[in-house]
Amino acid sequence: MTALVHVQGLSKRFAERVVLEDAELLLQPGARYVLTGDNGAGKTTLLKILAGLEPADAGRFAYAGRAFRLADYPAALRRDVVYVHQHPYLFHTTVKGNIGYGLVSRNVPHGEKERRIRLAMAWANLDHLRDVPPNRLSGGEKQRVALARAKVLEPHVLLLDEPTANLDADSRQQIVHLLGELSPAETCVLVACHDQEIIGLAGTVRLHLRDGRLSLLNGSPPASDAAVF
Amino acid sequence: MDPLAATGDAFRLLFSGDHDLWRIIWISLRVALISLVLATPLAVALGFGLATFNFPGRRAAVVTLQSLLSFPTVMVGLILYMLLTRRGPLGSLHLLFTQEAMIIGQALLCFPVLAAYTLAAVQGADPRLRETAIGLGAGPWRTALTTLLEVRFTVLAGVLNGFGRAISEVGSAMMVGGNIEGVTRNMTTAIALETSKGEFAQGIALGFVLLVLALGINMALALIQGQGGMK
Repeated sequence: MTALVHVQGLSKRFAERVVLEDAELLLQPGARYVLTGDNGAGKTTLLKILAGLEPADAGRFAYAGRAFRLADYPAALRRDVVYVHQHPYLFHTTVKGNIGYGLVSRNVPHGEKERRIRLAMAWANLDHLRDVPPNRLSGGEKQRVALARAKVLEPHVLLLDEPTANLDADSRQQIVHLLGELSPAETCVLVACHDQEIIGLAGTVRLHLRDGRLSLLNGSPPASDAAVF
Repeated sequence: MDPLAATGDAFRLLFSGDHDLWRIIWISLRVALISLVLATPLAVALGFGLATFNFPGRRAAVVTLQSLLSFPTVMVGLILYMLLTRRGPLGSLHLLFTQEAMIIGQALLCFPVLAAYTLAAVQGADPRLRETAIGLGAGPWRTALTTLLEVRFTVLAGVLNGFGRAISEVGSAMMVGGNIEGVTRNMTTAIALETSKGEFAQGIALGFVLLVLALGINMALALIQGQGGMK
């Protein structure tokens, strides 16, 4: 099976500090991955490179069998790959406005947009907060809005950066529950985290980032389709 | 001069609907508002561009902009006068001693205020803002619009401050407007003229209107900053 995302020879350094060095990553459609690693190991950098928000120094990138130059991250790919920040930024509008933001960029028709927002809000249990501005939300509610804002776009690759960090027990539990429901057949989810409960979710493949390289800690390594490059 | 009697006369003038007085107030507001409307789009675009893009000479441009904040209004008037005077490079436009010349002068005066506020607002915006917009699929124009909407309270504060600078300046209006009664006489030039003639009542009445405007602008600023979550 062709990997949904295949990255080879990925390198990134900040001044003298090497964050990624000749790293290779294969993500399959519909699979859920967790990315572990020490603080500062480069997990956030890797996710941002995959989302086209951070330039890589070197590397080859293929998406659904098509090779791209990471330096020319294609705009079309931004529609398929969505990144959720560790501390999500919510726009100064309402919860509904935040969730619908990406749908406006995609020119989704009004009726369809309303339908998808409604479903996403119900999924994240945000119905009662529909018209609330973000400065009145708790940390857990903000994280749920960010997840709903990403889910509503129906991305093929969802990149989540420490979604349970700095949350209280109840909020954390809600996020873990949502993540458990988040992997429909067509979406590949990659979660950078230290949360043992997320790491232990059934069917999750664990990747570990250390010294700039990725290794597989469970599951069988997928066949590398180097021919795509 | 009896200050109390002059103040009493001033309020009688103001509240009796004195035609000359209210025409002066109208000219002031018209000129300042039009200059603000003309300057705002360009100044906001410049401030956003300086905050967002890195290019050779950017630092010099920012320093120049900040220096223009304290540019004397009379110097703006002088430069504009030399350009617009009959023998100046723009003399053929016959703009000297017209409201249009005053509008140009005041637009030039509020331009750096607006641009500097926008620059500071965009530079100070949360770096996750841009990342989030791009990550959710917004193109360059929508990302720019989203950024400006997110920092709208600071930009609006700049607009109000720009209006304050335009309506209260006297140097440029006097030099390029010429203080012609019923045409280019605004509140500040009228106050200067009436005071020099020893006629204090109209000067006090107009000064009172300027103070009320300044108070209104500051109250609006406080309200906006409160809405924006600023202390």
